[in-house]
Formats: sequence, C-alpha cells, structure tokens
Amino acid sequence: MTEKPEIHTHSQTFDVLDESGVGLTGGESLLDERERALVVGAANFHALTRPGQTIRFTVLRGPQGSLPSLTDRETGAIEWEDDREVVGSVVFRSLVHTTVAAVDADGLVDLVVDVGGSEQTASAYHQLPGLAGALRRAVRFTVPVQFDALRQYRTDLVEKRYRARDVPRKAGVRIARGASATDQGRTPAVLFGIHWLELGGAERWAVETVQLAKDAGLTPVIITDRPSGHPWITRPEFDGAVVVPLTLPLTPDHESMLLNGIMANYDVRGVHVHHCTWLYERLPWLKAIRPDIPVVDSLHILEWRTGGFVDISVRVSNVVDRHHVISPQLRDYLIGKQGIPAEKVALATLANLTAAADQPAKAVAADKPFTVAFVGRFTQQKRPYLFLKLAAELKDSAPGPVRFVMHGDGELSGEVHGLRGRLGLSEALELRGPDRDVSDTLAEADVLVISSDNEGLTLTSFEASAAGIPVVSTDVGSQASLIADGLLCPRHPYPFIRTAAARIGTMMDSPEQRERWLVEQRRKSAAFAALPDARSWVRDLYRGWNS
Amino acid sequence: MNTAVAAVIVTYNRKAKLPKVLDHVLGQSARPQWVVVVDNASTDGTAEVVADYAARDDRVVVVSLDENTGGAGGFATGMARGYELGADFVWIMDDDCYPDEHALEELVNGHAKAESTLGTQVPYACSLVKFIDGSICEMNNPGTTWDWGRLISKGQQTVMVTHCSFVSVLFPRWVLTKHGLPLREYFIWFDDQEYTLRITKDAPGVQVLTSVAVHDMGVNRGVNFGDVTAANIWKFEYGARNEASYRLHRENPVAFGKFVLRLFQGLRGGRVAWPLRVRLFKKVVEGVRFNPQPEFPRSVL
Repeated sequence: MTEKPEIHTHSQTFDVLDESGVGLTGGESLLDERERALVVGAANFHALTRPGQTIRFTVLRGPQGSLPSLTDRETGAIEWEDDREVVGSVVFRSLVHTTVAAVDADGLVDLVVDVGGSEQTASAYHQLPGLAGALRRAVRFTVPVQFDALRQYRTDLVEKRYRARDVPRKAGVRIARGASATDQGRTPAVLFGIHWLELGGAERWAVETVQLAKDAGLTPVIITDRPSGHPWITRPEFDGAVVVPLTLPLTPDHESMLLNGIMANYDVRGVHVHHCTWLYERLPWLKAIRPDIPVVDSLHILEWRTGGFVDISVRVSNVVDRHHVISPQLRDYLIGKQGIPAEKVALATLANLTAAADQPAKAVAADKPFTVAFVGRFTQQKRPYLFLKLAAELKDSAPGPVRFVMHGDGELSGEVHGLRGRLGLSEALELRGPDRDVSDTLAEADVLVISSDNEGLTLTSFEASAAGIPVVSTDVGSQASLIADGLLCPRHPYPFIRTAAARIGTMMDSPEQRERWLVEQRRKSAAFAALPDARSWVRDLYRGWNS
Repeated sequence: MNTAVAAVIVTYNRKAKLPKVLDHVLGQSARPQWVVVVDNASTDGTAEVVADYAARDDRVVVVSLDENTGGAGGFATGMARGYELGADFVWIMDDDCYPDEHALEELVNGHAKAESTLGTQVPYACSLVKFIDGSICEMNNPGTTWDWGRLISKGQQTVMVTHCSFVSVLFPRWVLTKHGLPLREYFIWFDDQEYTLRITKDAPGVQVLTSVAVHDMGVNRGVNFGDVTAANIWKFEYGARNEASYRLHRENPVAFGKFVLRLFQGLRGGRVAWPLRVRLFKKVVEGVRFNPQPEFPRSVL
C-alpha cells in the first residue's frame, strides 16, 4: 500500500502524478470537499478496473440537480453537454495489480468524469415525465388524501397478488474453492454494498458499520449503486475508507475487473451488503470465485408492492451466509414466510435505548392546550399531509383546546406549508425545521403521531417513550413492537384519521387511559430494547473476520 | 428444553375443571415459558381462579375478553398472544383437557424427530386424546394420510395426519407466520379442522402417540348430525354453516355437494325433526356467502 502524504484525500488505490483544479495535492481547488471526494471515488473505480495503468480525468461539473457520472460507459467519451463546465484535470496511476506479471502501464487512458450539480430536493412525483406524469402530479397535489386512499387500495391489491407467489431463488454455489487466478492483497478489508451516501435509516446504520469495521482494524471498501450526489461522502466515518460510487451502466467487463481489483488489492475478510442491488446481483459470481469469503446482509424494511431489498436478499439467500435483520417482523418473514433456516437469520436491533421504562410519565399540563406532534422527514413515506388532515379534524372535534407541532423538512415541505394554510391551521399548527432540537418538540408534546405508509422501526417512538409521551401510529412494519395495541391505527387514510382522532380524544378526556397506553408502550419498548443489539453483533462479527 | 413454548388454554364458564387443567399444564416435565389463559368473558368466577394462578406463577398470562368469541375466537386470540410474546411454539387446548406430565415434551421431541426423518417442515404435532376412562376419545381422532405408517416404520410412535381437533396440539411459529390464525368467524365447530387442513397443504402433521391428553368431556361420543335436538342445534348450526363454507370456498362444489348429502343422510338417519332440518339447511345456504379470511398475528418480539 502506498500513500502520498501530500494527498488530501486518503487513497490506497492510485498515485496522483499531476493535477489542476481538483485540489488533491494541496493546490488551488475549484471543487468543494464533496465533489473532490466524488473524484477520488471515480479514481478508485478506474484504478481498480485498470490495474497499473495511467489515467487522466477531465473533471466536469453539471447544472443544479444533475447527477454525477463517474464510472459508467459515458466516461469514455471525450465530448460533453453544453452546460458542463470543466473544473479539473488529474493524472494518476493505478497501484492495483490483479495478475502476478506486471501490467504494461505505458498507455494513457483518457476519461471524462462529471461530479454533477448541487442538490435539488424534489419528490418522485415532481420527476414524473410527460402528460400522464403531469396529470398524476396534479391529482396527487390537489387532493393528496383522496389520492392516498387510492394508493392504499392499490397497495392492498398488488400486495395480495405479489405475496401469493413464491420469491424465485438463485441456486447455490457447490464448490468450496474457486480456481485461483490472482494473488490477494494483504490489507484486511470488508467489502460493503450501500444504496447511496445520503440520509436514510438503512444508510445511517451502514455508516455506523463502516466505522465499526475501521474499529476492528479492517479497511472498508464501499460500493454504492444509486445515482446520487452522495452528500454524506464527506462524513468522518469514510476517512480511510475506499469509496467506489458507481454510476451505471458499467462496461460489462468492468464488473468483474472491479471486484477482481478489490480482491487483488485487499484481503477481503467479509462482505456486508446494505441495500445495494448491484452487489446483491454479483454475489453468486463472487461466491463462485471466492466461496471462502463470508457474506452478510442487513435488512431493514419490507417494502410494499415489491418486497424491496428483503426479497432480493431472499432470492440470493443461497449465497448469503447470514441475514441480519433489525426487527422481529423481518425475522418472521424470512423464517416463517420464506422458509430460510432459522440459524441463518440473526435478529439484532438498533434500539440503542436505555432507561425508557424508568422515567416518570409526563403529565398533561392542565392550563395549556393539548399538544399533538409530528416529528419526521416530510416525504411521501411519512405522509405529512395525513397529519395535517388529522390536525384539521381534531381542531374541529377534539374535546378541548389543541395545538399542533410539525417538526421536519424534506421534499414535501412546499405541500406542508400550502396545506397548512388551506386547512385553516396557520394559527394552531407550528412548523419547525431541523434547526430546532427534536427533544424540545417532544418535551412540549402530549402525544406523538406517526402517519407513515410504511416503516422499518421508528426510533422516534423510543424517544417518545423516554420522554414520557404516548405514540399513535399506523400499524405498519414493526410498529406493533413499540406502540400500545390500542394506539395502532389502520394504514388507509380515512380510517387512520378517524381512529387517531378518536384515540387522541380519549387521551384528552381520560388521563388515566393515556397513562395506561404509555405504560404498555414503555413495556414494549423495554422488552424490545432487551433483544440482541446490532452494534455488538456486528462488532463481534468483524472481530471474527479480523482474527 | 431450549424452545420457548406458549401453552394456550381457552376457557368459558368452567371454573370447576380449569384448575386441574392449569395444574397439568404448569406441571409439565418440559416447562412452557408462558401459559396464556383466554377467558371468553366467563360469568362463573373463572376470572378469580385465573387471577389466583397468575399471582402464584408469573408464567400465567391472562387475556380477558369482553365477549364470548367462541373456541375459534379464543384460540385465535391466544395463539396471537403467544406469537407476540415471542414463542417458538404454541400448544393449544380446551379447558377440559388434562395433558399427561410428559405430553408437551413428547410432542416437541416427536415433532423434531418427524421433521428430521421426513426432511421437511411439519406444521403441527397433536397428542393421543383419551377419555377419562382410558378409552379413545371419539371426538378427537385425527384424519390420517395414505402413508400414515411411514414414521412408525422408522421406529417412531408417530402417525402422519391431515387434520385434528384443538385438544393438545403444538404449532411451530412459522405456521402462524405463513398461514395465519384460525378463523374467528367460525365461532365454534370446524375451526380446528379448517385450520389444520389449511396448514397441511405443504406437508402433513403428526400425531405423537406417546403424548397423551385426557379430554374430560361429559359423554364420549363423536359428532353426528343424527344427534341434533332442539337443545343442541345452536352448535350444529355453526357446524353446518362452517363446513358448508369450507367445502365450497376452500375445496370445490363437488366436496360441497358431498357434504350436503352427508348432512341430509345424517339427519334422516337420526330421524331429526323437520323444522330442525330446515334450520340446518338454511345455515348451509348461509355458508355459500360466508367466506372469512385468515388474520395474521403481529410480530412484536
């Protein structure tokens, strides 16, 4: 492993020979830290797929909202769109060797990489193309609750059909050893597959495991496969990690070259897949080449209508050694519904909670209005418009004065502001951004509402238990593990609003009932928190890999 | 025993026999981790009996229902609770069933041996049910598969079965995840057959002959439509509706036709009064439109 001390961003796969504008060797830079990290990520990819070769990058920046192009076929073309500006040029040599004999490194490979533009927040609905898209968008934003009702019926229908069929399975690998073609590297490493490096529950956990790998003395080699500007790429957990942010489609032979490059440069002790389709789909090949490398994946949520990563995982289960799941629901799905042997499934939760059951209950202040809170990102999954509709309902029907706090931000922020006015909630409903502490909101709240369409496991429910407030939630995902039975509401919008309003009304009328629900919720939180802990599980796993 | 078993007892106004049932269940050689008692809104002081047990043994979990949901509703509720508690197995029985000391242990072992010999998952294991005088209990005999002796030929005291009654039956957790719970809407009668037939689709269940339970029912007699009287017809009405629904919606019109014929012949054989026959046939007609769908338990722990 060679490391040039003057290189700002740690690299183990290439050596910078010259550069301009990028700022890798400490000179003037036109790129910000995130963009520079993307260039390093692209260089990692091309160094791994072109062992020993010398490569020149011409670095482009696209307009706002455009996505990076770092590893796809387009990078071989030396012309680009009119709106791309050239912001850097860098020449580097790959330090990777995939064969015993040295590679001819004389030829220069010229590539054009695009770091994309700055981020733009828009929901999937905003990106729907064509007339049909415009129509759907118009309906979605004009009558969000009615539209949601239709969506839920569609979910019911498609789920029923989808769940009736078996998930197809990839056959396993029978050989215990793949024919050896290359020497393997000496640096012990973990190969990670991550969706993208931006906000999300699965990503938060993935980033933690990257740190845990480093703590265990293993170098994280991270493949991501989703188009993204990767805002988290600059996080300190990635210092010392080798990030390979794929932009697809790759040139077909680059797929094996990338994985061969990684195995030649590192002593890969294990593979940990976090929601990464590209890596899931290459696991059979990886197992064929190196059956000795243990493969583990972490699963978070069973997605509506497709099963999502859980079903991809089920499909390739024959080449996965352990499935780590964060909820009893997923454990039961894998073992009970999909027939995966119980010994292959490890339940280890991300509860990370202490003392939830011991704190005194927070009493409702008699002189203040009853406060109903929503804490979460304003995204389609969280359905903030349902909370607003519930607020409007409660404003009219609640047995006493009531106020509302919505704490969050996200792609539906515009809709939330608009609906607040339309539903006449400007006075009664306070909006709070991420600049405020969630703990402040919880301290003021008398009840927390979770209106999500689907959830893995809401950590805010634990926080609410700790803060002494009951949670009213849709009965989705693993919410039944944390929420009192009586406070679980249907997923369909109108029944949800009806049930949630009735329960909150009951709480306002009867502090005793509110207390009973809270006790049950805390009992559930405490029992859940006693389940095996994911951090310890992964720590032990990685230690085993590095022993 | 490493496996966590939740015993489930459904009770309704039977406080005289319930303590004996609880003593037998709590005193098993293989200890159940929980004993869930579902009180179907009893009015005879059952609640006090159960509360007394719960105070003495923290394995006893009481579920008190606001209304009588029948055996079907009680078992669905109790099995769901066992599942929520995190049980690997639920072991269910009525409130007049006294399992022998080793009944559970034999079921768990017999089930495991059957799975290992057959190389497939086995959806349930039931006990041999005897009447109080030691003879076979007429009402609780499972239906057997064509190859019922397969495990006996391997030296196991186990018969392969297609359905059984809810008197000392052990279900592994995956069955509840995959197939759901008994149909509450059946209320009483045929809920056990429907459920065990439903979960036998992939593979047969087993009856472990070394696991014995005593069923302390009044008279040792099976179910026969020839026995219908004005006093007991309410039960037969549920039976007629439920089985008609099952045969039509879960099997086929031919099975439905055969059931109607069997009902007709049974009533004629027992010389049942015409008004009662009419009532039962009305229930068969009701069964055509009655098609409840299974509920699934929630994963909590």
